[in-house]
Amino acid sequence: MSPPVIGNEPTFLDKLQRKRDGRNVDPALGVLSGEGAQQRVKDPEDPHPERRPMPTLPSQLATERETAPSYYGLPAVKEPVWIWSVPTYLYVGGAAGAASLLGFMADVAGGPELERLGRRGRWVGTVGDVLSSGLLIHDLGRPSRFLNMLRVFRPTSPMSIGSWVLATSGGLNTLGLLLGQRRGWPGVVGRCATAGAGVLGMPLAGYTAVLLCNSAIPVWQATHRTLPLFFMSSATAAAGSLLSLLPHGPAEARVLRPYRLAGKVAELVMGVAVERDAARVPEVARPLHEGFSGTLWKTSRVCSAAGLVLDVLPGRARWKQVAADVLTTAGALAARFAIFHAGKASARNPQATFQGQRQGLGAAEVAGNTVASDGKPLKFPLPVLR
Amino acid sequence: MGQKGFFTDTTLCIGCKACEVACKQWNQLPDDGFHFTGMSYDNTGALGSATWRHVAFVERPVPLQGQTTGVGDFSWLMMSDVCKHCQHAGCLEACPTGAIIRTEFDTVYVQPDVCNGCGYCVVACPFGVISRREDDGRAWKCTLCYDRLGEGMTPACAKACPTESIVFGDLDELHARAENRIRALHERGVTDAYLYGKDAENQPGTGGLNAFFLLLDKPEVYGLPPDPVVPTKKAGRTWGAVALGALGMAAVALGSVLLGREARP
Ligand code: SF4
Ligand code: SF4
Repeated sequence: MSPPVIGNEPTFLDKLQRKRDGRNVDPALGVLSGEGAQQRVKDPEDPHPERRPMPTLPSQLATERETAPSYYGLPAVKEPVWIWSVPTYLYVGGAAGAASLLGFMADVAGGPELERLGRRGRWVGTVGDVLSSGLLIHDLGRPSRFLNMLRVFRPTSPMSIGSWVLATSGGLNTLGLLLGQRRGWPGVVGRCATAGAGVLGMPLAGYTAVLLCNSAIPVWQATHRTLPLFFMSSATAAAGSLLSLLPHGPAEARVLRPYRLAGKVAELVMGVAVERDAARVPEVARPLHEGFSGTLWKTSRVCSAAGLVLDVLPGRARWKQVAADVLTTAGALAARFAIFHAGKASARNPQATFQGQRQGLGAAEVAGNTVASDGKPLKFPLPVLR
Repeated sequence: MGQKGFFTDTTLCIGCKACEVACKQWNQLPDDGFHFTGMSYDNTGALGSATWRHVAFVERPVPLQGQTTGVGDFSWLMMSDVCKHCQHAGCLEACPTGAIIRTEFDTVYVQPDVCNGCGYCVVACPFGVISRREDDGRAWKCTLCYDRLGEGMTPACAKACPTESIVFGDLDELHARAENRIRALHERGVTDAYLYGKDAENQPGTGGLNAFFLLLDKPEVYGLPPDPVVPTKKAGRTWGAVALGALGMAAVALGSVLLGREARP
């Protein structure tokens, strides 16, 4: 039972205040030129997350989540501000990347019989890239400034790398579609573009995991070695299922079946690996087991497993194949939303940050330090103060 | 110009919130709601887009070292929290637009005219400092009074602090001052006192903080992470996993195409 939330209902004072932004500078008398003066206020509201009345005394000593030391149970890191379009993009971008890659491979090694598969891969890739850009721009706080993403290249920022990969891959895929069938040098350019987009499909499917892992959110950071592999195998499974759902001939079906199955198996295995990676610190793994994100994660695992089982069951009925592919797609989509919401829940729980770092998931993992910033050895539970 | 920073000595803080007010006024920040939180005297809550200084109030069921009180086992901890202007700043390394820069004073500054509100810095800060204001769409945080520094002035919060709990200055001078203070406190029997985030040795994950603190209890008690790390430090391993995954993806795709051709009836 969580204590009731206080301080979120707008009070009379709030409503009065709402007419102004709280700066209390009369434009006739003062100039707004401070560092924060540009901060736009449409509807002054409490910008803080909901607060609960004192769930714990900060200095109390205990190991349980509710009573372990923290500042009134408030989050230690900020919750991601991203909305639904980001996890949707994680799926769409992944599937687009994997489809571009398969299309490219079919072009190089498939011969004339698989030409249609190559074209289909390019189409899915192009549409996916365009859709991805739209989803990402939708999430920006200032969508009109989306081009600023390509203002610099910052190798330390996966989002910068990803923006460049997505933009290049989208451009190359489009070029490949437009010119790929032509004769002469335009055709050569088109085929080179296809190859480029195919190669970029791999980082496109994987960087999204780096994007999440390269953050202070405990559950994302803790899974930084396995999440990329999970996302990439899930992208393979998703692209295979998507291409199988689209109309295709028997020659293509012979390629899609092993492709799909390999992706589905890898996805299930890597899903377990992600769970184990997070489970190094129970408090970090928590959102994968409980709450909304836990339910989503379990649903996604069940869907993926069912998709695989249905796929390998004997029988050639079309409905069976469709059901398997739909299940896999649902599993892949739900997995992205589960990981996304697990991150949100993880950020809200200060103990995920604190206990994770006390148990060696902070700087100690890479810097090898044996003491925390307070000079005490890294260990948990904390020594008793009294 | 030199490296500038803050040394926040929490043993001197009296919880007057002059720094919060001075910051709001100088920077002309909008209000952050008028709410009663029930968390001691802290009705501010946390650092945010419009809250660049935040005074934390901790009520401890233990006395301060070397102090006897008439009310039994009790002591106050107060800390004025702020953006740490990290040596390796998670927000700066994550920003894809180049909106976050390191200034000539070695501070970390967000350029509001460049930020497109992607929100990546928000998750990249290991201290949960920077945040995006939804109705503005951009990310905001303490600028270490970049405008005042340019005029050779002291940041508003340090100027307003009546007890010199917040000291502004050159980093090496602050370090010396902090060392002296720790020594004096330890001599007086307050052996709990330690410096949080003074340098790379103390905090390898961030390479040290330009705004560092003198604390009396575990960092967790103040809402600070005990072993923070710039996420980028782990990026090498993550990209390694992507490289491995790419190999796998390529192998699966190529293998399936070849298998499909083989199986031709
Ligand atoms: S404390 Fe956070 S917002 Fe401030 S410089 Fe460090 S990473 Fe950036
Ligand atoms: S929200 Fe703005 S400052 Fe933060 S990472 Fe994105 S562009 Fe940079």
